[in-house]
Amino acid sequence: MTAIVDCNSFYCSCERLFRPDLHDKPVVVLSNNDGCIISRSDEARKLGVGMAIPYFQARQLIEKHQIAVFSSNYHLYGDMSRRVMDTLRVLAGEEADKEEGLSPAVEVYSVDEAFMDLHSIPPGDLALHAKHIKDTVEQWTGISVSIGVAPTKTLAKLANIIAKKNKKASGCVKVLATEEEQRVALQETRVDQLWGVGRSYAAKLINWGITSAWELRNMPEEWAHTNMGGVVGVRLIRELRGQPAIVMEEELVNKKMIATTRMFGRPVTALHELKEAVATYISRAAEKLRRQASAAKTVSVFLVTRDQDHLTDFKRGATIHNYVTLPKATSLTNELIKSAIELVEHLYENGKVYKKAGVMLSGLVPDDSIQGNLFVPASENQHRFLMNTIDNINFSMRDDSVKFGSSGMNKDWKMRQELRSGRYSTRWEDLISVR
Amino acid sequence: MARVKNFYYMELEQFSGMNYKGSKRFTQWDIPTANATGFGAAADDYMERGIDLNEQLIRNKPATFFMRVSGDAMIGAGIFHGDVVIVDRSVKAVNGKVIIALLNGEMLIRRFEKNFSRIRLVPETAKLSPIDIDLSGSEFSIWGVVTYVIHSL
Repeated sequence: MTAIVDCNSFYCSCERLFRPDLHDKPVVVLSNNDGCIISRSDEARKLGVGMAIPYFQARQLIEKHQIAVFSSNYHLYGDMSRRVMDTLRVLAGEEADKEEGLSPAVEVYSVDEAFMDLHSIPPGDLALHAKHIKDTVEQWTGISVSIGVAPTKTLAKLANIIAKKNKKASGCVKVLATEEEQRVALQETRVDQLWGVGRSYAAKLINWGITSAWELRNMPEEWAHTNMGGVVGVRLIRELRGQPAIVMEEELVNKKMIATTRMFGRPVTALHELKEAVATYISRAAEKLRRQASAAKTVSVFLVTRDQDHLTDFKRGATIHNYVTLPKATSLTNELIKSAIELVEHLYENGKVYKKAGVMLSGLVPDDSIQGNLFVPASENQHRFLMNTIDNINFSMRDDSVKFGSSGMNKDWKMRQELRSGRYSTRWEDLISVR
Repeated sequence: MARVKNFYYMELEQFSGMNYKGSKRFTQWDIPTANATGFGAAADDYMERGIDLNEQLIRNKPATFFMRVSGDAMIGAGIFHGDVVIVDRSVKAVNGKVIIALLNGEMLIRRFEKNFSRIRLVPETAKLSPIDIDLSGSEFSIWGVVTYVIHSL
């Protein structure tokens, strides 16, 4: 059996943990740059606050009901996510498993979800075990979770949706262990609610008269192969029938590309500001690159202009991008910045208004300059040493104490985060105070 | 020939320890374990990681949080204004523990008193009085148990 453990309104739960006065009050969290609502508590949902809608559209409702609003605080969410995942690993006995050479029992699926392998739990104990996981995570980290348990990942996801639908009745736990339980669940689920069924496939299915997940489950595998994207479709059907087809995956340790994109805090028109922004993103991306001991061969830069016809901030403007392939893969910030700045100069058009920029490092290869390489000029080894030193200082001092001049000293264009809470769990200066 | 000679001196020094003539005869490359301080050779085998406060102060990492104390409520327990307390959410709050309590939306640090008939939050200063918890009329829960206090002298 597989379980999916999914945090309830994760970002809101993180904020509330340190704001007990908001315990049963409506709360929402905004996306980068305070653009959209990306997390809402049950109370906010009941008041009619939509998901992923622009902040300004919900503003009236928010003010009317005095809903608490937070800018996203990724330092806090990241730390709380690590705590939740660590708790699950302790519960799964992962350390012991590792020593015995078993595959990990916890697969982190996203910042607030993880799959857990429960094959060793007797079927009769699943509900009790899931309840124990839920209670322990809540006790240790203060984050409430919902758990769906089923023979396959797809059915576990479905069980989780059912558990979340009525938290009081389900106690945030739903087990679909028997075929009968699975049938009832599939019959009351629409195809568009299924994990792995995108909007376009859902529309197609409904068009063909397949509206419930149960109807889809009963389609033959050959049909799925022809009509639902080959192997992927077959896998989905098998998963719905309770035959595991999507296995537990080991964590992807090394990324194949590294991207950093941000919305600007205000519209940007000057070339030097764009250059500063791109240099900053490159610094951040290069740091990640070095952390996984890779070097990049390709540097890409994106600029997103604001659509001149629309005054609204969220309409998608034109994206212009360009890339350059380096003669030799590198992890040195200065070399990467140099290429990126040239790209910006090339892409920049005077008079245009830019609202977003991004960089991407791809063509990643293992970085052979890490151990002093005998076959490269000594100066390169020195650069590597400099990078290590910068990374170490920035890690211990936080917040980019040392950076390249091209990233600018005062970043006017930086993201808007007006309502960000403290970094309660990661910074000495932001600790919560108790009386 | 010179090499053999060096080797001879090294052996002599290691085994007898009496014929020490200063380290000038050897460069650091001759003695792999010696470092630039000249102290390495003997101590290398006993190298340790050094003292790590986390080891002592944090019992359960995912459940441990730090908080800053504001006010004099717990002076009698040696917890002063401005101190940092370490809070473990996985420790069970039993009678007598110092806890972080949530009372009507506020975070309080107090001693937890619980017996058959009542729950009280007891401060350790004469300036404040104990709070009797009325479970029907107030919102009360326990955030975590204080395990250590970090106090600057």
